[in-house]
Amino acid sequence: MKDRRKPGDLEPRQGSAGAEFSVPLAQGGKPARLVSLFGSLSESREVVVRYVFDVGDPDYQIIECRVDGPLVSITPRLPAAAWYERELHDQYGVTLSGHPDLRPLLFHENWPEEIHPLLETPAEIPWAKRRYPFLKVQGEGVCEVAVGPVHAGIIEPGHFRFSVMGDVVLHLELRHFYTHKGTEKLFEGSPADSSVMLAESVSGDNCFAHAVAYCQAVENACAVAVPPRAAAIRLVGLELERLISHIGDAGFLANDVGFVVAHALAGGIKESLLQASASCFGTRYLRGVACPGGVRTDLDAKQVAMLRDSVTQAAREFAALAHIILETPSVQSRFETAGVLYQNFAEELAVVGPVARACGVDLDVRRDHPYGHYRDLQFEVPTIHYGDVLARARIRIQEAAVSSRLICEALGSLPPGPTRLSVQFEGQRQGLSAVESPRGELLYWVGIENGRLVRCHIKSPSFQNWPAMPFAVAGNIIADFPLINKSFNLSYSGCDR
Amino acid sequence: MILDILERSLRERSPLIPVEALWNTCEGSRLPDVDPALLTPAIARRVSEICPTAAFTAREESNRMELKLSYGECIGCARCIDVGQGAIVAAKAFPWTGVSKQRLVRRWSVNDRAEVQVISPESEEARKEICALLGRALNIRQLDSGSCNGCEAEITALTNPHYDLERFGIHFVASPKHADMLLVTGPVTRNMAEAVKLTYEAVPAPKLVVAVGACGCSGGVFAGSHAVVGPVDAVIPVDAYIPGCPPTPAMLVSGILQVLHQRNGNR
Ligand code: SF4
Ligand code: SF4
Repeated sequence: MKDRRKPGDLEPRQGSAGAEFSVPLAQGGKPARLVSLFGSLSESREVVVRYVFDVGDPDYQIIECRVDGPLVSITPRLPAAAWYERELHDQYGVTLSGHPDLRPLLFHENWPEEIHPLLETPAEIPWAKRRYPFLKVQGEGVCEVAVGPVHAGIIEPGHFRFSVMGDVVLHLELRHFYTHKGTEKLFEGSPADSSVMLAESVSGDNCFAHAVAYCQAVENACAVAVPPRAAAIRLVGLELERLISHIGDAGFLANDVGFVVAHALAGGIKESLLQASASCFGTRYLRGVACPGGVRTDLDAKQVAMLRDSVTQAAREFAALAHIILETPSVQSRFETAGVLYQNFAEELAVVGPVARACGVDLDVRRDHPYGHYRDLQFEVPTIHYGDVLARARIRIQEAAVSSRLICEALGSLPPGPTRLSVQFEGQRQGLSAVESPRGELLYWVGIENGRLVRCHIKSPSFQNWPAMPFAVAGNIIADFPLINKSFNLSYSGCDR
Repeated sequence: MILDILERSLRERSPLIPVEALWNTCEGSRLPDVDPALLTPAIARRVSEICPTAAFTAREESNRMELKLSYGECIGCARCIDVGQGAIVAAKAFPWTGVSKQRLVRRWSVNDRAEVQVISPESEEARKEICALLGRALNIRQLDSGSCNGCEAEITALTNPHYDLERFGIHFVASPKHADMLLVTGPVTRNMAEAVKLTYEAVPAPKLVVAVGACGCSGGVFAGSHAVVGPVDAVIPVDAYIPGCPPTPAMLVSGILQVLHQRNGNR
């Protein structure tokens, strides 16, 4: 999207002395929401940093800044930038003056210092032994509890360090990026049309949202509009993924308070949708369906009818189950007031997705930055203001209902025509695109040169939301942590990439 | 409320899928198979060019051509099926799960239009033996060594009422110290390498290690990344492999049972 800086706006400047960066303002004079921040290399191999803001317009605003020398950190003014700037430092070796915490984010103790893979990757990276200082909470009676990276159960790896006083969590520090796979680097040099498979492997349970965000970014770069039928099928896939994800989450939340029957039933409903997806799209998680220019799988009339029936039935069963979950007193007593995330924290940390909407932050890419077939459909975006586990459960249940309605509506009026256009990739191109994944705003920025990617940046909702979770956990008893964590349902791999 | 659930559970038919319907099936994985009768040199060349992970490779030597398919590398993208003109089709029966690394590889002679060294799918006999194994306890510890969580999602599905792994006496346990089998997903990332070794060491011997998914078998789409050490067997010894990206629950069930069957035969 275009740079919409107005004349007179200040740009981010180099150097620590007299540095000024004017954060664009959104309506109402509040600082605009930081959407993403990332580096790339120019043709002369200088680092260029891009700041992406949401000023309340359908288009995102991008501010570009060439780096020579230290860059002034914007984290003191926009705490939401903290991890982005740490990542920028790790990937490109950019020095950020005034950043309060520049410990390595992506690279653990066995990485040598001064490795900045997106600046240049040495053929061999020697093994090192460094130290990573955790924050120390001190005082009489304060204990540290370290959990992970390997957890009990079928969960992704991550490390949580709690400082507790008795049962109560005073502070939680996250140490993630165990699943860091250097994905953004892998995109570099790979063909733009087939790299969608890498995007699908960023966060497997939301792989279709990643695939569509990637494809749209490529299509925006190449100024291609996908055929209406492809756009509608993408919408069906995106909403199906959301529906599956939200049904699963509701089941896991019930499971975490010991309501295992509800978990089993939710698992069964989710499975019926995965099977329907396998018979309509050939894959259970919609892998390999989206491609630059459209979709690779068309639906025939029988499949459309079958998918509609499955979705309608799943939605009906899930609504009944959700009612039972929410009306069970023992569930209510665990969900209510657990893990409250306050709206002002969420706004400061630019939290997105259902977690934001559960504490009064009214954001939804589908409505605020419409794309594809969402431009043609009407739908409501539920919000709740109390921000606890119950609110996060309720918001997903309400959104599941909206998703199933959207799927049926889109399937009921699938436009005829082709499902795929060919995309021409000549020259140098850049494109950005965001979608509302089940976890929230997911953004891809691509730079393409003669059909190959020179850069692909992924802003995942989990990367954005993880830093907010400790604020919801502090003050709760440590035994409630799994429940609170589940109610955020963030992806480790999506965050770590 | 609880009564509503009870009433509902009694009213509804059990969704449990019988083991016969899971055994050796792979619907939803889009892993390819070759119809040798339709194979031509042009198709063999085309699929080996288009395959993004080099799962399909064609080798030409003095007028002979061999097409090799390594399921451990295949991510099920179906590009080969798109260009295969009917010679490459989605696999129906799929016995290549829970097997050794060598058995993940298949070869066809393009000249002879036939598979080289056919390893026949599991016989009816084996299926019966496996059914006889059921009911013995097996404790599995799942370990994510850096996966994208797609494999986890499918492993989690094994506990839903359609697959219900517990019916075979197979449980997922919380501690590696209670485990007989490690089910390892993902390419091993540099950041997880040490934790993977420590978890392996914590499992009491004798132990089985099964690498899951294209990533676990070969590194998948992440092979060669500077942040990845390699597939699971680059870090710990692996007994068997379950391919797929991700493997479907049916492939996981078949693979786990196959491993048990193999092990039983070795004793
Ligand atoms: S489906 Fe497998 S073998 Fe076929 S092109 Fe994709 S990765 Fe290669
Ligand atoms: S094999 Fe596929 S689904 Fe499994 S972890 Fe790797 S990329 Fe994800």
